[in-house]
Amino acid sequence: MFLLCLQVAVALYGLASMAVLVAVFGHRSRWARLCVVSSVAAWAFHAVSCTEMLAVAHRWMPVGMHEVQSVLALLISTVFLLILWRYRTLSFGVFALPLALLLAFVPALGPDKYTFSSPLVRSGWLFVHIVALMMAYAALIFSLTASLLYLVQERRLKNKRWPGFLEWLPPLETMDQIAQTTLVLGFCGMTVGLFAGSLIAQEQYGAHYFADPKIWLSFLVWGLYVVMLFVRRSTGLRGLRAVYMSSLVFIAMLSVWAANLFSSVHRFGAP
Amino acid sequence: MRISLTGLNHKTAPVELRERLAIAREKLSTETAELLSYDGVCECLILSTCNRVELLVCHEREDPGLPGYLNRRFSVDAAALQPHLYNYKDADAVRHLFRVASSLDSMVVGEPQILGQVKESYFAARDVGAVGPELERLLQSAFAAAKKIRTETRIGASSVSIASVAVDLARKIFGSLEGKRVLLVGAGKMSELAARHLMQQGAGSLLISNRTHERALAMAAKFNGHVIRFEELLARADEADILITSTGSTEFLFRAPHAQQFLQRRRNRPMFFIDIAVPRDVDPAINRLEGIFLYDIDDLQSVAAANLADRGGEARLAESILDQEIERYKHRTEALDVVPALVDLQAAAEEMRQAELRRNHAHLRSLTAEQQEAVDAITRGLMNKFLHQPLLMLKAAAREGDSARIEAIRAAFQRESRNGHSEALGPETSLDSAEQSGEAKTLLSKS
Repeated sequence: MFLLCLQVAVALYGLASMAVLVAVFGHRSRWARLCVVSSVAAWAFHAVSCTEMLAVAHRWMPVGMHEVQSVLALLISTVFLLILWRYRTLSFGVFALPLALLLAFVPALGPDKYTFSSPLVRSGWLFVHIVALMMAYAALIFSLTASLLYLVQERRLKNKRWPGFLEWLPPLETMDQIAQTTLVLGFCGMTVGLFAGSLIAQEQYGAHYFADPKIWLSFLVWGLYVVMLFVRRSTGLRGLRAVYMSSLVFIAMLSVWAANLFSSVHRFGAP
Repeated sequence: MRISLTGLNHKTAPVELRERLAIAREKLSTETAELLSYDGVCECLILSTCNRVELLVCHEREDPGLPGYLNRRFSVDAAALQPHLYNYKDADAVRHLFRVASSLDSMVVGEPQILGQVKESYFAARDVGAVGPELERLLQSAFAAAKKIRTETRIGASSVSIASVAVDLARKIFGSLEGKRVLLVGAGKMSELAARHLMQQGAGSLLISNRTHERALAMAAKFNGHVIRFEELLARADEADILITSTGSTEFLFRAPHAQQFLQRRRNRPMFFIDIAVPRDVDPAINRLEGIFLYDIDDLQSVAAANLADRGGEARLAESILDQEIERYKHRTEALDVVPALVDLQAAAEEMRQAELRRNHAHLRSLTAEQQEAVDAITRGLMNKFLHQPLLMLKAAAREGDSARIEAIRAAFQRESRNGHSEALGPETSLDSAEQSGEAKTLLSKS
């Protein structure tokens, strides 16, 4: 049943992705309405699908690539709808909706062959750890996108190219607020995620767990996040330098994800 | 009398050149008087706005050489000036003036300021006696056409003035204008309008700074704003999110180091400079700073071009109204041109009648006074009846602008054309010409 819901959600994401392109680039209000309706419907089906998927597995933690992708797509869709509700701008849908579609497409094809057998996956703390960190990923994707779009809009305003293909870009200040808000949201997610992860690690493995490259890289990213937030808040950093900083943190975050390959303990294998 | 119009505008010349030729409002009368004294110029008007400098003259000679006047007067190299100048004659000059007054030639088509600026130029020219009957007629027709276009089309309905373009740009930067502070430097009409638009769109508060402190106070009272002393301008300009400047300063008021300080004090929050002044008040180099957005008059042109596309239909409708108004002006001019012909015909016929009465004086002498009066009335009636049809035809030809027919009627009565020679019906007039001219005009107006 959850698979059917996910397939409906994917179909609706597809419709929303098409509608957002016509609405944003063609300035068509009817398509904008269609995009909003289909996005909300897709989110609802997707949320039902994820909940049922985890409920059937008797755990709250997404494991395996399909589950993680599906939850990440749901989080991206959630952030997009929050931005739409708060800032009344569809423009981010141009990136967010196709991304959600791509992420949810493979999980919608069928259940994952590979699962993790560790009893840890049934831990509530691990659920908090994973979901909070995924939220941080989703938020950082939006923050980086907003910073990049800010840069494009800034260049456009400075070069005085009117009108043009990029007419749909939201105002500078809106993008700056989105970048800042998602950054804070991502920071909260990362802090909670790391805190939950540290508690689990301390409980299960003791202090030596913190010598793992994945773990210290995670704390390094958190540190970078703190620095970026501090600099942005204190100096009002915008434009190109803000993009550089966001990109740096994003790359660091990707490297944390990739660090699973080198991690000896962060594999959720059977103990 | 011939009409010539020479000038340059935002389409033909860059702001750097326009600002060299720009004439301040207070100098407009003096400059117009100067132009009037130029050899061959009978009537004249100078239109100087941030987008155009144009000389409109009525002259008898073939060409008064207005480009030469501009070269000498403004010490601009002829070679540099010539490629940017346009020169219209007679019908073309009339059309151009009508288009300018109707805002169809404006940078932002449909903007309402230009009509006021043309009127200002007209008042300045009238004050120094540079407006004669020809220019008076032309300008009044242009004003009437502009008014008609504004009322009969929606050309001014959508917000496409420089002021509203500024509002649009501010929205691209700040999103909502709610709570944003606007600083007005200088107290020009255009900047006042831009500030008014911004306030109407939700801008939080207005700061005003002007060299003449009293004027700033008056404006602050009008907009419920606050005054910044001109000496404190650089120290406090960073309080504003949007800065509109339109002073008459010949040097930059804001340069890159100032903008850097503003950004530092604002913790890099963006600042939008709208430089409406010509010569410009803001150094273009500040646009290179991250967080500073500068738009001068020329930059706004690109934005206006976008809006222009949206109002294509209205502009086309306005052009057709303009065609009608130009035709009406032409007819009116020709109708007035035919007045001397009407007077001429009547005078000649009356002269013939008097001559016949004199010739037959010996025979009529035996008549009583009453009988002589009756003869006089009969001959006068005959003459009027005889002239009635040709006069009607002359009036109709004038109304329709049919100059060939006018000439044919003149020829039929062997009257000389305006530049002609023959005078078959006699050179003298016994009637008071002014009275006859009045009669002819009455006839025309009745028609």
